[in-house]
Amino acid sequence: MNKNKKVEDEDIHKHRGDLKLENVNVHYGNNHAIIDVSMLIKEKYVTAFIGPSGCGKSTLLRCINRMNDEIVGCKTDGKIHWGGINILGKDVDPVPLRRKVGMVFQKPNPFPKSVYDNIAYAPRIHGIRDKSILDKIVEKSLKNAALWDEVGDRLGDSAMGLSGGQQQRLCIARTLAIEPEVILMDEPCSALDPIATAKIEDLINELKKKYTVIIVTHNMQQAARISDFTGFFYLGKLIEYDKTKKIFENPREELTENYMTGRFG
Amino acid sequence: MAYLWSNKKFKGAVKKNPFHLKFNFREKTIVLLLFVAASLAIFFSAAILYTLIDGAIPFFEKVSIIDFLTGLVWIPTESVQLFGVLPLVIDTLIIAGVALLIGAPLGVAASIYLSEFASPRVRSIVKPIIELLAGIPSIVFAFFALMFISPFFVDNFGAGYFNAISAIIVIAIMIMPIIISISDDAMKAVPNHLRETSLAVGATKWETATKIVMPAASSGIMASILLGLARGIGETMIVLMVAGGRVGYDLLQPMLPMSGYIGRVATGDMPPGLSHSAGFAVAIVLFIMAYGINSLGARIVLRIKTRTSVKSKKLEKKKNILARTILKISSVFLYVFLKIGSTIKSNLGKIRKFIRKDKLLTLKERYWKQRIGIGLVSSSIIIAFVFLVVLLWFVFSQGISGINLTFLTSYPSRYPEKAGIFPVVMGSVYLMLITMVFAAPIGIGAAIYLNEFARDNGYTRFLRRIIQNLAGIPSIVFGLLGYLFFAHVLGFGMSLLSAGLVLSIMVLPIVVVATEEALKSVPDSFREAARGVGSTRWQTVRHHVLPNALPGISTGLILSLSRAIGETAPILFIVSYFTKTAPSGIMDGFTALPSQIFYWSQHAKPEFHVLAASTIIILLIILLGMNAIAIIIRQRAQAKRDW
Repeated sequence: MNKNKKVEDEDIHKHRGDLKLENVNVHYGNNHAIIDVSMLIKEKYVTAFIGPSGCGKSTLLRCINRMNDEIVGCKTDGKIHWGGINILGKDVDPVPLRRKVGMVFQKPNPFPKSVYDNIAYAPRIHGIRDKSILDKIVEKSLKNAALWDEVGDRLGDSAMGLSGGQQQRLCIARTLAIEPEVILMDEPCSALDPIATAKIEDLINELKKKYTVIIVTHNMQQAARISDFTGFFYLGKLIEYDKTKKIFENPREELTENYMTGRFG
Repeated sequence: MAYLWSNKKFKGAVKKNPFHLKFNFREKTIVLLLFVAASLAIFFSAAILYTLIDGAIPFFEKVSIIDFLTGLVWIPTESVQLFGVLPLVIDTLIIAGVALLIGAPLGVAASIYLSEFASPRVRSIVKPIIELLAGIPSIVFAFFALMFISPFFVDNFGAGYFNAISAIIVIAIMIMPIIISISDDAMKAVPNHLRETSLAVGATKWETATKIVMPAASSGIMASILLGLARGIGETMIVLMVAGGRVGYDLLQPMLPMSGYIGRVATGDMPPGLSHSAGFAVAIVLFIMAYGINSLGARIVLRIKTRTSVKSKKLEKKKNILARTILKISSVFLYVFLKIGSTIKSNLGKIRKFIRKDKLLTLKERYWKQRIGIGLVSSSIIIAFVFLVVLLWFVFSQGISGINLTFLTSYPSRYPEKAGIFPVVMGSVYLMLITMVFAAPIGIGAAIYLNEFARDNGYTRFLRRIIQNLAGIPSIVFGLLGYLFFAHVLGFGMSLLSAGLVLSIMVLPIVVVATEEALKSVPDSFREAARGVGSTRWQTVRHHVLPNALPGISTGLILSLSRAIGETAPILFIVSYFTKTAPSGIMDGFTALPSQIFYWSQHAKPEFHVLAASTIIILLIILLGMNAIAIIIRQRAQAKRDW
């Protein structure tokens, strides 16, 4: 029994590499929100999804950790291959999957608990009870999220008392605490001021050394600043996907160029 | 364990899928239990139907349904028995209808004042008064009607000792809080931009309130009136104690509405046999009327809440035929009521035209109109307030002399000076505990299932409707349920257990609604965050939703229990008034505070009426204490909460 568990745990820490999306389709009721998207997301790079509101970029992001399962009436087809597994498959349990594919939401959403408990929560539900290990995880996560210097001396305070930018970095730390491989960010800076945004962007640059980061953003300058690859979405379709430099400087599609130059959107 | 969190890379190809979906036994078991808790409502509803039908079968073996439904004479106890239910129906409609004619305008006026004119400070004073009025058990209203209002009509208008008008007046006041709270919600829900638009074109606040807000909230106001009507039709204790036991059509004389007759069966006034089982037949008619009107009202309320959803429109088409028929029957009454109202209204217009020929109102006149209007609507609140003060003053002045150590520690007795309520208080306390033991897990479990786990499918909607409609069943029908189903069919006897079960079912919808509100108040972002870091659904609920909803849930639970221990009619069949000892087990006979109040107010000796008033004081103190605890919990939670 115990031995079995070990093997599984090793499985879950296996290095999985690139994400390969294959003909992903998403329906919300009658609305065809994502149409036939296929793309290869490289590991340990930052990939940005851009496009006008309602183009489906957030929906696609939420496919990758199966958060769309939580929405009533949302149906996902297609495949996302990751380390030899189709994570959209019926036999995949989203609960352990989300341990390896973390998510940071648009609005900072810390739990109404202390800073410490916010970060320790997920390791605890995954079975860690040892206080010294939890302490280490909390410290390491906060340091990795560039928040330790600011809140390290008040871990017992309520997370609701932090500033918006601190709350968002706390949410990132909370995600890092479960040692994911992929971090999904759904417009993580849209509710933040420019200074807080700059801090998060610096952090993303750090994070890509260890993690695959996929970020949805409305802000094209942000995509240009932080991402290595960019996918442009329009009306549920992936119009163009390439190196960020190429997309911004010399797009292949006219639609992309129109969007970049602000002619619509 | 540290090993688990090392990021050691595993070399070599691993064929196994680490995310493989496993059967999570714990999770599935919990969801199944919650599902069962929610589904129990179907069983309870079925038990109520079974009770009514099984109890009425002996009656319909002797009396044909046609004679019963169309007969114009109701003589249950003479040698020639006649069972025509129409006189009872008419008396029910007269009492509920007249009470509504008084209570509805007062209630709607009060809600206009509260929603449109009252300052936040006034609101914060008036709202608790209305809640207090809503929290007073009907037995207390009945006592007040019998001892205070009825003598007034006897002395000044030559009314009989038992008369319908006293019952009607207190029922009117009793349904006011229902109408106020729902109408107020409906008017508060009218979007503010409508008010602003109206004010911006130069309307006064009064014109805005009556010409813009009220029409926009009309369906909610209508629903509140329907729910008040259903309450009036189902009210038992007041008509049983005050309105007398004889069919009649004079407001100053006794009347016998349906609930009054069933109450008489419950108290043993009717000899066993046909007149006894006739109670069940009458209960079927009462059930259909109250249930139909209530579900119509509840449906309107629901429609307002989900006005934008497309799905509800689709559902409209799929309404089943039975429900439609019930609704049609109940809407006939509604139509008659509206007809009367509209006739009055159109004539009002003529009168107004007669007094003042069509001319433009000057600004001064419009302001006067506003002043008079606000004066009128605010006076309805004063009426409710005065009523409450007089009621409390009367009860206290009557009963305070009876409260002493002997009263609190002795047993009920034939001698008023020796009588006490010790076993009665214990009976109520035990009853409350048993009710909590059943109502809390079932109600909270059902709410968690409905709010956190249920998919929006036909079964879920069916469950919701069933639970919601439990709230529309007259309390005396619950009395029949306890008597026939729990006491006899299940063999629990006239015991605390039977009574506790009945009360739990009765308060179930209140617990479910309160719990769901508390769960809904927890932001979805908490759920999303928890799911995002890999919590299961139950872990999300257990770690994040429940802790944050707990104050709301416990507040709702305490308020439901305070409602339960104030109820008389549901346990009318079951209590044993002559219990000499406090109950020692759940299968023991018992008596409870409201039942003892009922028993003593019916007593011939006036000394016992004092004891009844003293018992009311004790009951009110307990209820007030529970409400205070609920308020403290709520306020402390609000002060502590940082989201």
